[in-house]
Amino acid sequence: MSTDPGAAPLGPGGPGAAPLGPGGPGAAPLGPGAAPLGPGGLGGAGESELAFAAGLGLGPQMAGSFGSGRGPRLLSGGGRKATIISTISTLVVLGGLAAVFWFAPGSAAFRHAFFSPSNMWQAFIGDPKKGYYSVGEAIWLNIRMFLSAEVLILILSLVIALVRQSTGPVLFPLRVLAMIYVDFFRGVPLLLVVFAVGLGVPALRLPVISTQSSTIYGIAVLTLSYSAYVSEVYRAGLNSVHQSQLAAARSLGLSQATALRYVVLPQAFRNIIPPLLNDFISLQKDTALVGVLGAIEALQAAGIYASSVFNYSSFTVAAILFLVLTIPLARFTDRLIERDRRRRLAGALR
Amino acid sequence: MMRRVAICAAAALAAAGLAACGSSAAGGSGSPSSGGPSSGGSSAAAAKTSCTYSGIQGSLYQKGALTVATDKPVYSPWFEGNNPSNGKGYESAVAYAVAKQLGFKASQVHWAYEPFNDSYAPGPKKFDFDVNEISFTPQRAEAVSFSNSYYDVQQALVALKGSPITKSHSPADLKKYVYGDQIGTTSLQFITSQIQPGARPKVYQTLNVVKEVLTTHQIDAFVMDTPTAQYIAGDQVPGAVMVAQFPSTGEHYGLLFDKGDPLVSCVNNALATLKANGTLAALQKKYLQIYLSVPTIQP
Repeated sequence: MSTDPGAAPLGPGGPGAAPLGPGGPGAAPLGPGAAPLGPGGLGGAGESELAFAAGLGLGPQMAGSFGSGRGPRLLSGGGRKATIISTISTLVVLGGLAAVFWFAPGSAAFRHAFFSPSNMWQAFIGDPKKGYYSVGEAIWLNIRMFLSAEVLILILSLVIALVRQSTGPVLFPLRVLAMIYVDFFRGVPLLLVVFAVGLGVPALRLPVISTQSSTIYGIAVLTLSYSAYVSEVYRAGLNSVHQSQLAAARSLGLSQATALRYVVLPQAFRNIIPPLLNDFISLQKDTALVGVLGAIEALQAAGIYASSVFNYSSFTVAAILFLVLTIPLARFTDRLIERDRRRRLAGALR
Repeated sequence: MMRRVAICAAAALAAAGLAACGSSAAGGSGSPSSGGPSSGGSSAAAAKTSCTYSGIQGSLYQKGALTVATDKPVYSPWFEGNNPSNGKGYESAVAYAVAKQLGFKASQVHWAYEPFNDSYAPGPKKFDFDVNEISFTPQRAEAVSFSNSYYDVQQALVALKGSPITKSHSPADLKKYVYGDQIGTTSLQFITSQIQPGARPKVYQTLNVVKEVLTTHQIDAFVMDTPTAQYIAGDQVPGAVMVAQFPSTGEHYGLLFDKGDPLVSCVNNALATLKANGTLAALQKKYLQIYLSVPTIQP
């Protein structure tokens, strides 16, 4: 296991070269800066920056060609004329939408019901003495549930994925179980699982398990359900690492487990980060489903406000808070995807 | 729109005649129940139409029929057999009695399904009025219109037999327990505003779930209006008991209308008649059996 990082026998020197990878943008070559065989990852950062710079250098050439494979650019350059046109068209679209909301026959009632500033503020700060709780405070429960569930999901789903990918005959029953698990939890509506666990488990009257808070049940359900999805993402990631990577690692004398740990998983993981984050954005919102178990999370707090006061503005507050949570993660995912794309295409587009 | 305004003015005139109709509490709870927000504008103007059967046709959701909405499922003792249209149960009976006062035959009463959380949505309503144990509050009255009281509410405490709360429920003790309740109910508001427990109450979408979590000990107790509490404790949840009822806070149920619906004053008129001739009291006795023997505790 004396791999000389400097030689990087498996890792291609230049970006896009990938002699061991299956090649092509959709595959998972040993990208720049990966150095999967060398745990030290020598030179990784440097190469990554190089690829980044190369990607930036391509920018001007691609300017003005919206959707030319340049990736999800919101505003493609193209000079002053393009800027003016896009500004005008944006104003027309936004103005049209605003006009519909503003001049609709029921606009005043609609705006009061959904966007009343005083109601939104009241819902945000809450007042238990008037019968409702702060939506702004309740969102913390969503965040806590989301963060706990995320860690558990990453662990559980990896185990499931590895079991499903295993080949040993001894593990056959486990493989079948894992398959049933994934099929089941992907096929059953999440809300149903929330009810089944949140109401069913306490009814069992088991010593410790049956006396947990609804938040714990919620985290458990989110973990169970999302692990099924995320394990499939993991599996896709594992499959995206070409067999030859494992073969090469084994030929260098690495054990199956070591090869998995140092060669396959790092590459797989990097490939699946965007879809993984995508699932986690979805997870952030689905924490709201735990509200049906009685926990006062943001959506539940908003619902309490709405039905106490007969005004839906609290839901607007909850929506804004959820957006504040999810949009940064969505943008971050975009950036990762873009960076990954640049890395892969940097050589090919030259 | 214009027609509605005209009728509205007419209704306002009628309303002037029964300004006092709701103020005499019938239930004996001495609550300041009435004075509900008589919607539709209070300035009595000239009126051409009245609360006669033909006079109110223009303000109906569907001409020739009184469309009454309620939630699904419906519970005793407000309805019976989960069927609003059989005229049994207090609210069903009140709806038919009001319909009769307005000149409708029983067959002309149409029932519509309206989830509670949708009932106060802005925009045109798909019913003439909604009867669903909805309590009047001034804030709610900014979004919809309420009739005067057809029932004065007291809240009561339900727990499992033998649980600690059945024995120790002094005001200080009450704060120690974990409560649960249905979202949007004034019972939940009662918990947060009057009992003010240390632990946040758990809030559920339906009453069924509240009952379920009580039996599985996830909550110590819940609060519900006395008739419902009595029904749940006596009938629905084995092992549940109604611990006590709380003193009145002046809460009352009103029929829910579209904001400014001119029909409100006609229905208030009908309710006043029903109150005056003893119909409401008789129906309460028949279906709700005012539980005077229930001990009262302070929150």
